[in-house]
Amino acid sequence: MIAILGLVIGLAAGLVIEPEVPDSMEPYLPIAVVAALDATFGALRAYLDDIFDDKVFVVSFLSNVIIAALIVYLGDKLGVGSQLSTGVVVVLGIRIFSNVAAIRRHIFHA
Amino acid sequence: MIARPPFGRRPADRHTPSSWDLLEQVSATSLDEDYGKVAARRGDRGVGPRRRPQVFAAVALVALGLLITITALQTRSAGPVDAQERSTLVRQIHDREADISRIASRSDQLESEVEGLQGTAEQIGSRGEELLDSLDDARLMSGAVAVEGPGVRIVADNESGGSTSSGGTILDLDLQVLVNGLWQAGAEAVSINGNRLGSLSAIRTAGRAITVNYNSLTPPYVVTAIGDPDTLEATFADTPGGQAWFDLETNYGIQFEMDTVDELTLPAVPEERLEAQYAKRQGELP
Repeated sequence: MIAILGLVIGLAAGLVIEPEVPDSMEPYLPIAVVAALDATFGALRAYLDDIFDDKVFVVSFLSNVIIAALIVYLGDKLGVGSQLSTGVVVVLGIRIFSNVAAIRRHIFHA
Repeated sequence: MIARPPFGRRPADRHTPSSWDLLEQVSATSLDEDYGKVAARRGDRGVGPRRRPQVFAAVALVALGLLITITALQTRSAGPVDAQERSTLVRQIHDREADISRIASRSDQLESEVEGLQGTAEQIGSRGEELLDSLDDARLMSGAVAVEGPGVRIVADNESGGSTSSGGTILDLDLQVLVNGLWQAGAEAVSINGNRLGSLSAIRTAGRAITVNYNSLTPPYVVTAIGDPDTLEATFADTPGGQAWFDLETNYGIQFEMDTVDELTLPAVPEERLEAQYAKRQGELP
């Protein structure tokens, strides 16, 4: 419950404050979002598996976001930024899909 | 949730990840292993899953919400910029097209102008040629240039032996009459002893000699005239000048010899005898 509340607060705060992001950070935002979504769905699945842990979630969330952004940053510097972004999105997407599938099985017992 | 090994693989391969397909590995490890490890550790210690308020998780989710909205806003605000750039480019294209059509019409205008000027230039050119031709003629006839052509050569001398007797000496008047007769007979250029006669040339006596163009002449006087070689000699004989000289020849012993020559060259009149100081052209050039 408190988690959903936090999500809503975050969305609302972003809409209200409309923070300015430096142009240099802009390319990494979408990747960071996908990485954060991956961590969050993993956390939800762990919660339903009854093995959720606060600390593990926060650590995986932060490391996911930072590493995804770093990989894309490195790719930009090496001239393969878009290819690396695609690779990161593909891997994270597969993880999200398989986590969501597990969550679905939990909820519907199917 | 352990992924099934691909068909046809032996079960022994299951624990050697290198033989798994990459995608299957990704799906198989989609849940962070740490959750399982931490839970196992808790189970070992006999502690159940934590059920206290998940403050850190909430903070992380706030961060997620922020990230999502920021990204969405960024993407949305980038849209108008793109549209603006596109409309700017479209406007620039239209501007350039207008420039092109303006330049093209200007080019057409200049082209027709050039055609007009070319016509004028041709007119001026032909007029120039005309003027050059008439200048050529004028220089020829005024004696400004040396001329050549067929004509007659007259050699006249005083009575041989006695220059003291008044009768047998050629006077300036005699030469004037001679030249006048030649003009009358159709001569186009006349020179006496190499002194071409121009429009300002006078034949006169200065001291004891006859001068033409301020040059003193000494007998014999050689008068060359360019004109029709077939008629000049005969026509001259019919003129008063010709008759006067016939008279001089027969009555005063003056030597006079006239021959038709095919090729004569007459020099130009000296420049100082061609300059007009007071006479000015009246009206336009022809």
